[in-house]
Amino acid sequence: MTTAAQEFLRAAAHESTDLTRRKAIRHAIDQYDAAVQRGRKQFVDYEAARQKCYEIKWEALNHLDKYLLEFEEKVKARGGQVFWAETAEDARRYIADLAMRRGVRTVVKSKSMVTEEIHLTPALEKLGLRVFETDLGEFIVQLRNEPPFHIVTPAMHLTRGDIAKLFREKLPNAMSSGASSEDPPELVAVARRALRRAFFSAEMGITGANFLVADAGMIAITTNEGNDRLGTALPRLHVAVVGIEKVIPRLEDLAILWPVLATAGTGQTITCYDSLIGGPRRDGEVDGPEEFHVVLLDNGRTDLLADAEQRDVLHCIRCGSCLNACPVFRAVGGHTYGTTYSGPIGSVLTPHLRGLNEFQHLSYASSLCGACTSVCPVKIDLHHHLLHNRRNAVREGDRPWHERAAFKLWRWTMNSAGRFALAGAAGRAALRGLYRLGLEATAVDPLRPWTKYRTAPPIPRKSFRAMWRENGTR
Amino acid sequence: MERAEALGRERVLARIRSALKAPAPHHQCASPSGPVFVPLANAVERFQRECAANSTELILVPDTRGAADALGMVLASVTPGEIYLQDAPPLRRMLGGLKTDRAVRWSNDGPPSESSQAAITAVECLVAATGSIFIASSAAGRGASVVAPVHIVVASEAQLEPDLAAALRRVKDRELTTHNSALFLITGSSRTADIEKILVLGAHGPRRVVVILARNLD
Repeated sequence: MTTAAQEFLRAAAHESTDLTRRKAIRHAIDQYDAAVQRGRKQFVDYEAARQKCYEIKWEALNHLDKYLLEFEEKVKARGGQVFWAETAEDARRYIADLAMRRGVRTVVKSKSMVTEEIHLTPALEKLGLRVFETDLGEFIVQLRNEPPFHIVTPAMHLTRGDIAKLFREKLPNAMSSGASSEDPPELVAVARRALRRAFFSAEMGITGANFLVADAGMIAITTNEGNDRLGTALPRLHVAVVGIEKVIPRLEDLAILWPVLATAGTGQTITCYDSLIGGPRRDGEVDGPEEFHVVLLDNGRTDLLADAEQRDVLHCIRCGSCLNACPVFRAVGGHTYGTTYSGPIGSVLTPHLRGLNEFQHLSYASSLCGACTSVCPVKIDLHHHLLHNRRNAVREGDRPWHERAAFKLWRWTMNSAGRFALAGAAGRAALRGLYRLGLEATAVDPLRPWTKYRTAPPIPRKSFRAMWRENGTR
Repeated sequence: MERAEALGRERVLARIRSALKAPAPHHQCASPSGPVFVPLANAVERFQRECAANSTELILVPDTRGAADALGMVLASVTPGEIYLQDAPPLRRMLGGLKTDRAVRWSNDGPPSESSQAAITAVECLVAATGSIFIASSAAGRGASVVAPVHIVVASEAQLEPDLAAALRRVKDRELTTHNSALFLITGSSRTADIEKILVLGAHGPRRVVVILARNLD
């Protein structure tokens, strides 16, 4: 059996040499970068905006019980229902039971990473339900039977040609009018026609939420397409699945969180549809669902909450900016991670949600350049948390014995100038010898991970310190 | 079942409370005291500029009569078919003077039908800094602003709030969260950039959003 770490290395080597794909990713992220520059112009002081968002999330997370209870009380007062799910299994069972009891046959879903995390769609499909992803990017990857490539831009890795081909295969009826077209507006129209039927026939709409607003007792959902709006207006049931960390204290916090989320997520000043929903249709309202359910999901989040050092990881608003900024993500892409959440935030978060032992390799999927930390709109200290996870893995004894022995030796060597000089001289001599024998990049070359792809530079005869002694007296 | 649910809830809350016993570090930062957003001088001008940027069609008119004329003009450009109207007194009055041979469905007859070609609603308020409209479910409903390919709103300058903070304050002051099951902020027409980051308007919601803004409405 291959471990998650071996699979990561295999996929990374494969993906990073796929130049077509890398071009698609580079194009998407270049467009994003340019848009972010424009979006930031709405702020006089973007740093102050980030700090405000950090303060809001810090306040919410550090009084999480209080704000969740306030949210729950207000939703219930409007006739909504709140279910606290300890695990992914609890959440799936609650939603599946509800769907069965209410005779649901068709479900329309809005983009939601938390429903990916709990593998909701396969669970509902197993019961014979038809489940439609309605965000265009999600719809595309659903048709391809693959997970989202990026938490905000699920089909970032595909070209219009790939998508046209996919639609011709999977949606021959909706595609009939422009069978050969690769024109993006035409492809969007095809998806719109195909999903329109689903919206009007579905009995259940499932969404996530970007925020749970405690004092309003409403969930806040953000989309550009308006698919969440249709999915929460037309079906008779609305279920929102939301991680407990999404709570914010006050309605007015959105005055800064909405613009910051939009700018960090897509470079917009604000996203097209920012909706607040707090219950089923009220008496006197013309439309809306008969029932409104909020599933509050723990699924490992309280364990992360207990880690005070890394509690700020729960500040995450899933904007995806750390993915876009990350040189590793740009090279290996989202699928390589093999996790629901990819990129820097995924590398930090996944070991907490799914086990440090199995996912500690992600702490090394980083150059520690800190680009992720510098763009994070809620100021999560991402690259330091990668180091914290590395340290914790060592502390918990999850590293192999030879690595621990090597570090002991390294520390012993580094603690004396004489030993350091001796080790350097021995290392240079050994490498020169090896390379003279033509053993560069073979299994015995200790620099093989580097020399496999690159020619080694000439090995110097003298150490830096020796050269310094000779030249430094001038 | 219910008992199991209550126990699960208690366990999650207990875990949260025990987790929070250890205090988290809090990073102070010197900066956040001045304004965060670029301030605005003139609300109508700013609203105009933002609408142009987010592809909302904005028509400025002096009064109710001007609004009715503008509405007639916009409707003339809409594909033949049913239109949906929020049953609000000013809209009733405006449509009274309007000659149209279209089928008209009022919101007191129920939600918009799948085939409606345009929906006309009032707004709770407008937001100048973002070029947005804010609507409430108890007035304009949930489907009206997204089902039809064209959404037309009629508003007066008294409803123009300078920025999001002011709009959200208004929501609080009027207790709109208690009196509505949902509130919607809408900025421009439905869009997607999921294919090669190319912007396409009219993803699932309206392709056109038209704001008719009157200096005064009676």
